[in-house]
Amino acid sequence: MDTFYALLHGLTIAAQPLNLVYALIGVLLGTAVGVLPGIGPALTVALLLPITFKLDPAGSLIMFAGIYYGGMYGGSTTSILINTPGESASMVTALEGNKMAKAGRGGPALATAAIGSFVAGTLATLGIVFLAPWLVSVAVNFGPEDYFALMCVAFITVSATFGDSPVRGLISLFIGLALGLMGIDKLTGQARLTFGVPDLLDGVEVTTLAVGLFAIGEALYVASRRHLGEEKLEPVRGSLWMTKTDWKRSFWPWIRGTLFGFPIGALPAGGAEIPTFLSYSTERKLTKHPEEFGHGAIEGVAGPEAANNASAAGTLVPLLTLGLPTSATAAMMLAGFQQYGLNPGPLLFAERPDLVWGLIASLFIANTMLLVLNLPLVGLWVRLLAIPQPWLYAGILVFATMGTVAAKPSVVELTMLVIFGVMGFLMRRFDYPVAPVVVGLILGPVAESQLRRALQISLGDPMVLLQSPMSATLLGVALLALLAPFILRGMSRFKASED
Amino acid sequence: MTTPDIATERKPDKAALAIAAVLLLLALAIFWDTHTLELAPTYGLGPKAMPYVIACGLAALAVANAVMAWRGAFPPRESLDHRAIILILGGFAALIALIALGGGFIIATAVLFTATSAAFGRRAIHIDFGIGLVLGVAIFLLFDKLLTLALPAGPLERLL
Amino acid sequence: MPLSLSRRLCRALFVPAIAALSAAALPAQAQGTMELKIIAPAAPGGGWDQTARSLQQAMIAEKLVKSAQVINVNGAGGTVGLAQFVNGAKGDGNQLLVNGFVMVGAILLNKSPVSLKQATPIARITEETQIMVVPANSPIKTAKDLAEAVKKDVAKVTFAGGSAGGVDHIMAALFVGAAGADASKVNYVAFSGGGESLAAILGGKVTAGISGVSEYEGQIKAGKLRAIGVTSEKRLPGVDVPTFKEQGVDLVLTNWRSVFAPPGLTDAQKKGLSDLIAATVKTKTWKEILKQKGWDDAYLAPDQFAAFLDKEQARVAAVMKTVGLVK
Repeated sequence: MDTFYALLHGLTIAAQPLNLVYALIGVLLGTAVGVLPGIGPALTVALLLPITFKLDPAGSLIMFAGIYYGGMYGGSTTSILINTPGESASMVTALEGNKMAKAGRGGPALATAAIGSFVAGTLATLGIVFLAPWLVSVAVNFGPEDYFALMCVAFITVSATFGDSPVRGLISLFIGLALGLMGIDKLTGQARLTFGVPDLLDGVEVTTLAVGLFAIGEALYVASRRHLGEEKLEPVRGSLWMTKTDWKRSFWPWIRGTLFGFPIGALPAGGAEIPTFLSYSTERKLTKHPEEFGHGAIEGVAGPEAANNASAAGTLVPLLTLGLPTSATAAMMLAGFQQYGLNPGPLLFAERPDLVWGLIASLFIANTMLLVLNLPLVGLWVRLLAIPQPWLYAGILVFATMGTVAAKPSVVELTMLVIFGVMGFLMRRFDYPVAPVVVGLILGPVAESQLRRALQISLGDPMVLLQSPMSATLLGVALLALLAPFILRGMSRFKASED
Repeated sequence: MTTPDIATERKPDKAALAIAAVLLLLALAIFWDTHTLELAPTYGLGPKAMPYVIACGLAALAVANAVMAWRGAFPPRESLDHRAIILILGGFAALIALIALGGGFIIATAVLFTATSAAFGRRAIHIDFGIGLVLGVAIFLLFDKLLTLALPAGPLERLL
Repeated sequence: MPLSLSRRLCRALFVPAIAALSAAALPAQAQGTMELKIIAPAAPGGGWDQTARSLQQAMIAEKLVKSAQVINVNGAGGTVGLAQFVNGAKGDGNQLLVNGFVMVGAILLNKSPVSLKQATPIARITEETQIMVVPANSPIKTAKDLAEAVKKDVAKVTFAGGSAGGVDHIMAALFVGAAGADASKVNYVAFSGGGESLAAILGGKVTAGISGVSEYEGQIKAGKLRAIGVTSEKRLPGVDVPTFKEQGVDLVLTNWRSVFAPPGLTDAQKKGLSDLIAATVKTKTWKEILKQKGWDDAYLAPDQFAAFLDKEQARVAAVMKTVGLVK
């Protein structure tokens, strides 16, 4: 019960009028910067950290939480409205979300993203409060072999994004895997596929690839087909708000998304992308409307968005309980703590309970603030789509480029962005799915380095993959997921037609 | 697989064959590059294993793609508006050149904006360039001045 | 280690001298006009970025500059930023680059076309002592125990730390060599971030872990990790961990951070920047930041820093060759 009182106390601090103002400013700033593709929450926090210097610890942490969640949410808004994922974790949101927006259902898509983020953020914050100590002991025992097995599970989910030709889907995936090879090999420090260009040593940035393939590729494709008759965008068709069916179809995806996002986010090398993939493919399997997937299914927005937000809260588990910054954003948060002479670590909860609970409480507040702020804005956001097409696409391209220009203004990076744009155009024209490329780029390098770490520690013995119970279980799940469709297909020849 | 339109059915599909060739080239590039790696770790799997697996996969998929192209198993394609594509890509080329040569963010943005809106059928180039400039200035002021994000500066930026 | 001794000497002799000099020679308003750009050749959040932002914070708070802007140019262990700095900022007396020990290795590892020789060394500013830890339930209690284990079977002793060729990797190799085993056989597992490697140590996946002292301080205090040695010459104040040296393992190493100016500066420009740094590191704000972050003041003036740099470069190159990171 102590926990509960501590949280309540934190909430009373966070709910003071001045602190609410800080939360509001934080959320606004975070959203403003977060909408830029290529500028994720980490950079947002880094940029805005100096602003928080001037406040007292409580106010600063509250603004911080607002920036963090605002930055996360901004990325989804652009994903849905203009098919430009603001960060890699909102790539999946673009798949269905943008299709919804184009069908005049941008309102419900944004709403389910906002409410889903709120639900997931709230549940996950409760998870921090009650499960953190237990979860962290599991997370710490997750070894390289277990990560590799988790990646295998994630790889199976790619097929959900393949469209109607497995060969073309696999080609996309392998292009992504090949791009993932580019750069310095993490374990030996050697350059692979860089052809002597130093800018390539860090490999391909996920947002550069995603923005090129999604936003620029799409703009080129639409422009090239304009003479065949203009595609008319209607910002709102039907209800601007979520209907009763929308609520019903969103509820369980939110919950399942949270269940994927929170624990995986708490893993030191879990990340936010994998739970969104898992959530997307799960929703696609479970939905009662399989025909809508690929054309704007609300489940495909609700689940991944919840997973994305829950994993952000999940990263706070190792940060607060162990002082482990497991993501760039968490590292920035650590810097934020250090401003006040705090060293997050196993003793933080014991030494400075007021600040820890203040932060957790301000996460609640920021989450609520985001919801209150964004729902009324949904109507305004979708009107953006009413901008005449030439200006809309011109604006999208300026916007898409600006993130890259700001994050890494090098000729090589910008050229890559354009090359990926052309690639995205060609892939659309020849009907290759684009999402698997991004999935391959994200999963490939992680799978490779974790497998190699596992084998390095076991001195080359592959049995290590089966000796860990976690890894063995996950590999079993992967195998089952891989074989199940074939078995099912054998039983019934039914196959849903897809995009 | 849906049967393609009779009118657009091409057997073999030359463009798709070209894609297969590009994939094969990519596989060869990976083979060649991996071949040149000098160092191997003392323990476990080296940095060459994964590239070889991916290269083999790509080569196999290139063959599969070629077979599909030969059978004409790609969906039909409509005619292209080349002018629009050239305009957009030209806009990007100008943007990259301007940023590389110190023309600054604002002008580069305005050029890309104008080129894209022209690609989508707008003729009022002066007006669009003006809109692009305003957009560039607004973004620059917000992110560079207010949030101290370093955007590439040119003559215009130094005036602000 | 003679290196460390000379550093100590330098500090003892020159820091007060510089302090006296700059205090006399520089009226405060002369510096307050500079519009400085600090290049952090790393992504936000990392050590160099934090150093750059801390410098920025101290300079602005103490009104040593008119403005200071941090620019992140990340890539390839900082060598992308270095290349851009060396080529693009030539002759610009208003720019500084933050870097450190890790860049020395990264330049070799990435076969970087530019070297530190092409930039102008301004100062070493901070250093952080390295620490080696084992899980609390490990049978290994001291550095000696670990050295024994290494001698018995070097392959079975796994070290976790940061990126390949970084300070942690070099330290693992130096330890194995100092323990009397074959340093080229060191089983070093590179992890992407501090968090990931710490998790591997806490979970008992590896034998020992390597990092900066401050990163593991909380874990050690909480009894989750056991520290078996620090790489400083003498015990650190407030950290009750024996040095490697006193345990008979000859391993002294620090992860230092420094600032460089662009090439092609006039003497006056160079002096302006080195005076600015000398003044900054003496401010209260800076000392406050050092305390917060757990960094040690390790100021070395330009000439001493240049000499120090030469020795470190030679040492790193030798280790990297032994370990097989460069051919």
